[in-house]
Amino acid sequence: MTTYLSRRGFCVGTALIGFQAVSSSAFAGRAEDGMVKLGLVAPMSGPNARYGSFSLRGAQMAAKEINGAGGVGGRKIDVLSADSQGTPVEGVSATRRLIDQDQVDFIIGDVSSSVTLAMQPVVEDAGVLLLNAASSNPMITYKAGVGGFKWTFRNYPTDENRALVVLQYAAEKKGLTKYAVLSVDTDYGRAAIEFTKKYLPRFKSQILTEDYYKEGEVDFRSVLSKIRDSGAQAIIMYGNADSAPIVGRQMIEVGIAGKIPLIGNAEFNTASTIKAAPKAMEGAIEAAAWLPSYQSERSKAFVDKFTAEYREAPNNHAYVHWETVHLLAKAIEQAKSIDREKVRAALSGIHYDSAVGEVTFDDHNQARLPMILLEIEGGKPVIKGAYTAEIDYPK
Amino acid sequence: MFYTITEQVVNGIVSGSVYAIVAVGMTMIFGVLRAINFAHGEYYMLGTFGAWFAIDYFDLPYPVAVVIGVVATAVIAVVVGNFVMQRIVGAPAEAGVLATLGVSLILQNTVILFFGGSYKFFSGGYIEPVTLFGFTLAEQRILIIIVGLIVFIGLELMVTYSRMGKAMRAVSQNIECCAVVGIDVRHVALWTFILGAGLAGLSGVLTAPVNVSVYGGMGELITFKTLPIIIMGGLGNVRGTFVAAMILGVAESLVATYVGLQFRDTVGFATLMLVLMWRPHGLFSAQARF
Repeated sequence: MTTYLSRRGFCVGTALIGFQAVSSSAFAGRAEDGMVKLGLVAPMSGPNARYGSFSLRGAQMAAKEINGAGGVGGRKIDVLSADSQGTPVEGVSATRRLIDQDQVDFIIGDVSSSVTLAMQPVVEDAGVLLLNAASSNPMITYKAGVGGFKWTFRNYPTDENRALVVLQYAAEKKGLTKYAVLSVDTDYGRAAIEFTKKYLPRFKSQILTEDYYKEGEVDFRSVLSKIRDSGAQAIIMYGNADSAPIVGRQMIEVGIAGKIPLIGNAEFNTASTIKAAPKAMEGAIEAAAWLPSYQSERSKAFVDKFTAEYREAPNNHAYVHWETVHLLAKAIEQAKSIDREKVRAALSGIHYDSAVGEVTFDDHNQARLPMILLEIEGGKPVIKGAYTAEIDYPK
Repeated sequence: MFYTITEQVVNGIVSGSVYAIVAVGMTMIFGVLRAINFAHGEYYMLGTFGAWFAIDYFDLPYPVAVVIGVVATAVIAVVVGNFVMQRIVGAPAEAGVLATLGVSLILQNTVILFFGGSYKFFSGGYIEPVTLFGFTLAEQRILIIIVGLIVFIGLELMVTYSRMGKAMRAVSQNIECCAVVGIDVRHVALWTFILGAGLAGLSGVLTAPVNVSVYGGMGELITFKTLPIIIMGGLGNVRGTFVAAMILGVAESLVATYVGLQFRDTVGFATLMLVLMWRPHGLFSAQARF
């Protein structure tokens, strides 16, 4: 029995080796057929499948637009999708598959930061350009460009960007300097506060009280009364959508609604949150990478076209992938080639007009991106414009 | 300073009242069935969903939604009681643990299957803040304290004077003797369970307006908050449970203010460990159940 199995294993093994030899020779003349092969790593199944599907649709729509207009330098863009399932292990094998079997020229991906972090060494070894469009963990570009990984670029604002832009807006436009912290007790919530603290001296601001809540917490009254008595001018909250309405209602109860605004990010701007506690949400400040209601020609055109094409309004992931494919196409056009070295050089020096403003890359291959600031006024989110801030990289 | 402390004590009493109503059902079920009901938080969730459904789908006023929430929970409790809980009477402890954990998973996932896993928004209730002795509280919280007191007085009267209440006490003390004198143990077990689950449902509906978010997994946290309380109060001890719930509520509130919100949930488990080490029968010892 054992011999039989191992013999069969041997046969299958040999067959596979043969197949691989054939297949790699078949694809040896990569991309000389007038195509740009673009791999897209995204969670197409699993809990984040919805994000993956938006990402793919955004990328496909951009490819269709570019191809319809004659392609880039006469080449058509072919988007090849690979499923990361939102996990680093699957993300790495999807990336390998794209590089080894599909022989892609460029890769865009992933949505989840942990997957992107795992993909970075893989593309570095293969020398394939990875252009991330949706991960927000600052580590990704701390480690890129002069930080190490030469082949990773990111066209998305980081959590650090967000923390900095929110703080900058609060200090410069609202004159706030004293804060209370009420964030979710997760990597996201704690990291956002770490980044906020890093930039406090720049705006001569200070944190008076610091509390973190567990996901699912429903009683904020004690901590909110403490904040009320602390003399804080605003509450910095990085949390989840389900907690914001509870915090809002209890702010009304302890009598700080309308006096101490919430700033940060916890979906303050969704209609149901505002409806739950209109008085507490008044004056709340939030930063977003992009949102469908952003009023720029390019943004509106994208929303209309996407909605017409897929009979569904686009989300943030659809937008960033659509924009990133266009950005890459412009870099290829400027490089006048799909040679990776040349495209990478073109990307480093690019000046690209996105729907939210001009995109350039810093020496960490991180896009200098404007973030959109929203403030709730009269029960409605009002867009206060797009703001850019310069990141201090750790030495 | 004094004002802050008093305010935090009041906050603690409010959350203590919620814990008390949920925990008393769980402790009674333990008294009679000798099983920790790990699905207890799920009945809290079902009550909330029942009321949310009534308000969101049929636009009913909050008081009607309260009744619907509690009745819906009780109906489900009748089904679970008949098929699962009655069979636990006299069975080994593992059977109770496994059965209630299983029921918890089934209830949670059935709700997610029907209504989806996203957070829902509870719009009923009386959330306007009122000022009372210098403190601002939502009207709903005052309602919670009042209902909590009524429930406890009612339960005390019931277990002391009513026939069913006396039977419950008897079953919690000695199942075999009850059978000998002609008490229908399974019948008593079923009614205790329905009462306990209904109280959990009531507490869910009462807290929904101040907690706002409604979702399938919301009961889990409640189950784990309730465990230390019923052990502190002495398993099966109604009065002890009430006091333990208040102690936990106030202690949590003070810790959240003076130590940090992130340490709030450790209070319950730290007291649980201390109680298990020094007073395993509960703070008030087990002189009498009920």
